[in-house]
Amino acid sequence: MAFSSIVALLVLSLAPPGDVAASDVPNDEGGKIAVSWTRSPDTTVTSYRVLRQAVGATEWETLGFVGRLASTYTDDAAANDRQFQYRLIAVSPTETAESEPSAPAVATAQWFNTETLPALIGSAILIFVFLYFINRARRDRNLFIRRISGLDHVEEALGRATEMGRPTLYVPGLSSIADVATIASLNILGEVAKRTAKYGTPLIVPNTDPIVYTVAREIVKESYTSVGRPDAFNQDIVFFVTDQQFAYAAAVDGIMTREKPATNFLIGMFYAESLILAETGAATGAIQIAGTDAVAQLPFFITACDYTLIGEELYAASAYLSREPLLLGATKAQDYSKAIIVGLILLGTLLALIANVSTSRFM
Amino acid sequence: MQRRLPLMLVLVTGIFGAVAFFVPHGAVRSVDEVFRNDVQRILAAFSLVLGVGSIVQHHLTKIQRKASFWQYSWITLTALVLTAIVGVFGGIDPNRPGILPTHIGSFSFHIQTIFSNMMVPLAATMFSLLAFFMSSAAYRAFRARNVEATLLLAAAFILMLGAVPLGRAIHAELPSFAEWILAVPNTASKRGILFGVELGIFATSLKIVLGIERGWLGGGGGK
Amino acid sequence: MTPQADSARVSFWTRLQAIDRRWIYLVLAAVVIVPLLFPFKIKPKATTPVQKLFNYIDTMPREKALVISIDYTPDTRAELQPMVVALLRHAFATRRPVGVLAMAVYGLGLGEEALSQVAAEFNAHATNHEDSIINGEDYVFWGWTTPPLTVMLGMGERITNVFPVDYYGARTESLPIMRDLRNYDDMGILVTVAASAMPRSWIVYAQVQFGVHLSCGITAVSAADFYPYVNSGQFTGMLAGMKGAAEYEELVTAKMNKEGLDWGLRNRGTEAMSSQTAAHLAIMAFIIIGNIGFFATRRRK
Repeated sequence: MAFSSIVALLVLSLAPPGDVAASDVPNDEGGKIAVSWTRSPDTTVTSYRVLRQAVGATEWETLGFVGRLASTYTDDAAANDRQFQYRLIAVSPTETAESEPSAPAVATAQWFNTETLPALIGSAILIFVFLYFINRARRDRNLFIRRISGLDHVEEALGRATEMGRPTLYVPGLSSIADVATIASLNILGEVAKRTAKYGTPLIVPNTDPIVYTVAREIVKESYTSVGRPDAFNQDIVFFVTDQQFAYAAAVDGIMTREKPATNFLIGMFYAESLILAETGAATGAIQIAGTDAVAQLPFFITACDYTLIGEELYAASAYLSREPLLLGATKAQDYSKAIIVGLILLGTLLALIANVSTSRFM
Repeated sequence: MQRRLPLMLVLVTGIFGAVAFFVPHGAVRSVDEVFRNDVQRILAAFSLVLGVGSIVQHHLTKIQRKASFWQYSWITLTALVLTAIVGVFGGIDPNRPGILPTHIGSFSFHIQTIFSNMMVPLAATMFSLLAFFMSSAAYRAFRARNVEATLLLAAAFILMLGAVPLGRAIHAELPSFAEWILAVPNTASKRGILFGVELGIFATSLKIVLGIERGWLGGGGGK
Repeated sequence: MTPQADSARVSFWTRLQAIDRRWIYLVLAAVVIVPLLFPFKIKPKATTPVQKLFNYIDTMPREKALVISIDYTPDTRAELQPMVVALLRHAFATRRPVGVLAMAVYGLGLGEEALSQVAAEFNAHATNHEDSIINGEDYVFWGWTTPPLTVMLGMGERITNVFPVDYYGARTESLPIMRDLRNYDDMGILVTVAASAMPRSWIVYAQVQFGVHLSCGITAVSAADFYPYVNSGQFTGMLAGMKGAAEYEELVTAKMNKEGLDWGLRNRGTEAMSSQTAAHLAIMAFIIIGNIGFFATRRRK
């Protein structure tokens, strides 16, 4: 073939993609290999075909196609602990060009996700603070917690219901038992139930989750038994209503307007129905103590209720009411953990400010 | 034993759940998936049986004793039974009929019919009540009692005006200012509350896993 | 002022403070209903979060899918359904593949309704197969499955494993659209439309683990909760409440008109803005009257 023809052929043929590299995708359970390449400089390329070959096999299998702008591909069907090689074929309307195969790569499962390292370090610090204060609480049983207004008035609110001969309504929120706010609410329910059992005040606890209903029933039953009033407990105190949000709100509103409880506890996780419950309770003249960590619902409770436990005050309630030393120690640990975070935020802000000032000075 | 077994279960599953967050390996993830999916589904299904049993018992007792408003209990139980029959035997919609005859005139017996014609309007009605309750709460409770309350009122006015096109007509920058109030001071205060809430969740979860908080077992309080 | 006149004035304000709340409900009902019967034209201008989402969807690669997660129930339909309709119109007008799933079982009917409505709108003006919106080719409705965590994690691996059949009973692996919509990598953005904290779960389980672009459409009352995520870039823009829906509708209508798709479609979010404006003004009036009465009676004391 004439030299000029050979040169013409070389100049006109499609340039293949280069630098094909394959590596295990990190921090996963394996089965994935990431393939990367440098795109062909030819502008006539329309797509790339991705091929894979198990090392030792003879055939190349096509995994798929990617667009002309792509330079990465993830093979998410690579068996673990097997070596695979990859190559790409640049495709244009008239011809194709194959790349060199990549070095072999093996998909492996990792035992630790390195991206969660900051979370692990943070958790370790918080757990250390927690254990320190739990330990301290065993020795010093009079740890100080500031007054929480809503909880100080629990006795007064229950006393009002007893004097008026009207029931107390306790709504443990609309979330499931997996929600920590619900568990915090059930802990408070135990304390409230002990008091209603002692004073002989009727208690009404409607539930929206079947599991929460069963747990709440056991808690109330145990509370009544613990103060020596097992006879006062009956199945009608704690009952399941419905798992539908607004149907539940309608049911509780109905209870409020018919039974006219003197005291309402709205404690747990609430959603859009919070104002419907709180305003109806206010209209019936009940004294209302609310508590939630749903930040969006706090304004409604603060407006319509007499006392509101805001955010983490809900989690401190069980320690506050029972005065158990270990629970008080855990609450102190929360406070000091928050202080550490505030300190870190201030430090970070200061460093960012210094960096900002130094950069602008050199520009 | 009655208290020890649940506490041991909580300790083991709690620690395992935390470890599963850090370990992506399939051996750990597959066990975690069984706990999260299969076990949860089974528990939820059985607890629904308990829930329905509770409704039936509660309302039957009210009917037997002829307690106040016992007639509503009849309506509740009738609705429960009818919906269950239609759901099990009446099919999902006209394209997926059940074994019950599915039409009386133009009214069809499908769970989709009950859902679309009863559940949807009822739920929307209850949600709409919020507008009325908000207006009565605003009229009754929004008072400029002190400096903080006055600031709150002013912010509320700006936000309400910024949320409707009239705000832009009053001043071109009002919606942006309203957005700034939501995006900056409001976000900052929410983040502060969120820090506390998340720490509270962390601490409460740790207390439950370590068996310090035992109120959920019944009897109230901790160790 | 004479003591009698002063006493009468204060007595008036005291009575007004203690007014039966049903009068307030009546006034509010009138204020909401009248603008619906006699609407005044309002053209909402897009705020930054809405514009950001619109721009992102408008400029993302054509082959990347818009996925909508119906995470709300019928009670919030008035506020959130217009968002879904507007998003679908935007995707179909720009010929992007669409995937829809429901995380709330009661959202199934709502998702189906929105898809049917928008597909019918486009098909009413289609003259050939290319212009038509076909189920399985242009969009797929995966339906609902539980629990949400399985869905969020499973979609990162293979969507057809999470939803082996679609809402209509067809095997998802056999649908043409699913050939190029395998997992999060093939999505341009996933928009979660919710009235709950579900968008946060999407961030934790989908974005942190798989890096998928997310945005959200939420009720106005929850908007404040999600601004931190918009500011940090975890959500690419946001549609907040009926006003967010109305703003997006305006942007989509302008886009469709520019593309020659001037079909005069109804925008329910925009239609409701006149009522919402009147209601906001009414509540402000209640607050002002309540405070005047508060100061008048307090001065007397």
